[in-house]
Amino acid sequence: MQYSEGEKAMVGGKKDYLKFLLGVALVVVVFTILGTQIRGFLSFRNLMNVCRQTSIIAICACGMTMVIIIKGIDLSVPGVISCCAMINGILMLQGWPIPLAMLVALAVGTAMGLFNGAMVEKLEIPAFITTLVMGNIGRGLALIMNKGDSIGGFPSAYVFMGNGTWLGIPVSNYIMVLFVVVTSILMGKTRLGTYIYALGGNDLVVKQQGISTSLVNFFVFGFSGFCAAMAGILLSAQLDTVHPVQGEPYLMDAIAGCVIGGVNMLGGEGKAYLALIGALIIGFLRNILNLLGVHPFYQNIFVGVIIIVIVGISIARKNNVMEKNKAF
Amino acid sequence: MSNTRTETSNVLVRFLKTKGSIVIFIVFWLCASLFVDNFFSLDNNLLIIKQAAIPVICCLGITVVLMTGGIDLSLGYTIGLSSIVVGIFVKTLHMPIPLSILLTLLVGLLVGIMNGVIIQVLKVPAFITTLGTGYVIYGLAQIVSSGSNINRLPANFRVVGVTPIGGLNTTVLIALCCCVLFYYLLHMSTYGRSLQAFGFNPNAAKMSGIDTPLLNISVYVLCSVCAALAGVLLTIRVNCAQPTMGNDMTFEVITSAILGGASLFGGIGTVIGSVFGVLSLKIIENCINLLNVSYYTYQAIQSIIIMLAIIFENVKNRKL
Repeated sequence: MQYSEGEKAMVGGKKDYLKFLLGVALVVVVFTILGTQIRGFLSFRNLMNVCRQTSIIAICACGMTMVIIIKGIDLSVPGVISCCAMINGILMLQGWPIPLAMLVALAVGTAMGLFNGAMVEKLEIPAFITTLVMGNIGRGLALIMNKGDSIGGFPSAYVFMGNGTWLGIPVSNYIMVLFVVVTSILMGKTRLGTYIYALGGNDLVVKQQGISTSLVNFFVFGFSGFCAAMAGILLSAQLDTVHPVQGEPYLMDAIAGCVIGGVNMLGGEGKAYLALIGALIIGFLRNILNLLGVHPFYQNIFVGVIIIVIVGISIARKNNVMEKNKAF
Repeated sequence: MSNTRTETSNVLVRFLKTKGSIVIFIVFWLCASLFVDNFFSLDNNLLIIKQAAIPVICCLGITVVLMTGGIDLSLGYTIGLSSIVVGIFVKTLHMPIPLSILLTLLVGLLVGIMNGVIIQVLKVPAFITTLGTGYVIYGLAQIVSSGSNINRLPANFRVVGVTPIGGLNTTVLIALCCCVLFYYLLHMSTYGRSLQAFGFNPNAAKMSGIDTPLLNISVYVLCSVCAALAGVLLTIRVNCAQPTMGNDMTFEVITSAILGGASLFGGIGTVIGSVFGVLSLKIIENCINLLNVSYYTYQAIQSIIIMLAIIFENVKNRKL
């Protein structure tokens, strides 16, 4: 019996946990071996610092995973990060209570995501173009709101969320773990998650089954917007500033994290906790390259190449499978 | 009587469908002339044409790509790369001007071949390929320039783009030549027709004997060469070679192409539409400058325009 990619993803649940543990083990071993060669890498302070920085990528990757699974992509991430952080920052500086300001920012991010979902679902516009446009709107708004200047000097409780530690581990990472766990449960244990995989695996069958695709599309894009907004808030808390274009670097890192974590660009395959590993790999790799004195320009080239190569391989694999099936 | 009326309305509808961008341009131009001070002057209008010349060149390239149903998000970074490359050739290496421009166009050609081959041979979706290669090209441009700009370029290099011709300059002339060339390519040659066929239905195009792999690669090559040419001209215009030059241009150019009636789903796209798409957008930019509104507004307005254009196109293709 031939499973589709989506079914495989659902059937092979146990194998994926094994993959997760294997991935963690591999990452730990490889980076420890590398780390012994690089001065300062294995210090607790540096490791925690990288984890803290990676939490932004990982939270974005949670939403991105879902979007990529339904064969979409969310290019609005940088715009949403900047715009929501800016809204949050301005409201806070105007004396709003922190939770309320955050709530407004998260609502705006979710609304931007829902709009993407509406364009994809109702008008069948390709996800990359509507999210590209939405990202530009977000960036434009972030620039207009404070006339292109950055703001800073937030309340200490807010900065604690970004830079504080609890039991020695950064608070950001608790939030990150919360996001990854919630995403994993949503996708692995609920009916909605099954629909998401099914829609990515074979959208025709889903429509013929009479499952409403609009719910899935709206939820997935809305969730991605929510994740990006949260990442933006967390980033502004970590840096204690909001700059109108500070979200720009996170798009490629989030996509690269997903792709390295085995989320298939062709849809229907991928796990949030594997994307977390991908994000950690990107984070630690960038740190190692920084410590070795490799300029970020080279790192960017590396990230771009990684994405294309991995997507190319996954497509070649799929074409191979299709060729084999043709023979029968 | 009623028959003729429906016929005229049919003609009107068809005109709106095919030449919508001209109507948009005229409406924008009239509104701007009426409501914006200092807009209605010869100098200002010539300025708009001069400003539009470089985006038009890029827009023609992206129109060709959009006609196949693809997209090139690396376009802006290619502009930056070619800008810094031509700057180095001309200023640092003191190479002859024609040779350095030719080599820069060759760099664009290589970028295009890279994009095209990855998209056609590895079958990676166009947007993810060009997003990735865009990142690579941007990195390369930064490395080549080692993060700094090259300014005060030699005068005999600047002559190529800024020599005045009756109120306009040679850049406009070059853009005009590009328009004629692309008009021939898209609307009068078999290349344009096979492009249209490929955009509407790649499989049917392949089965009717069109060399689709070559066609698909060629559009990305055309687009990147256009971007490289635009990069050279832009460098001359601002008299400074910067690796970050075209970063905002990708979105602007895609917006104008869509505004000019090119379809994201392939098969549809005209030279005249794209030219007027760029001009319409430049009118808005000009008005924003004249009204002394923050330039950031222009970016936001661009996004809203592209969104409206896409929605309108979708509604048009379904309902009208």
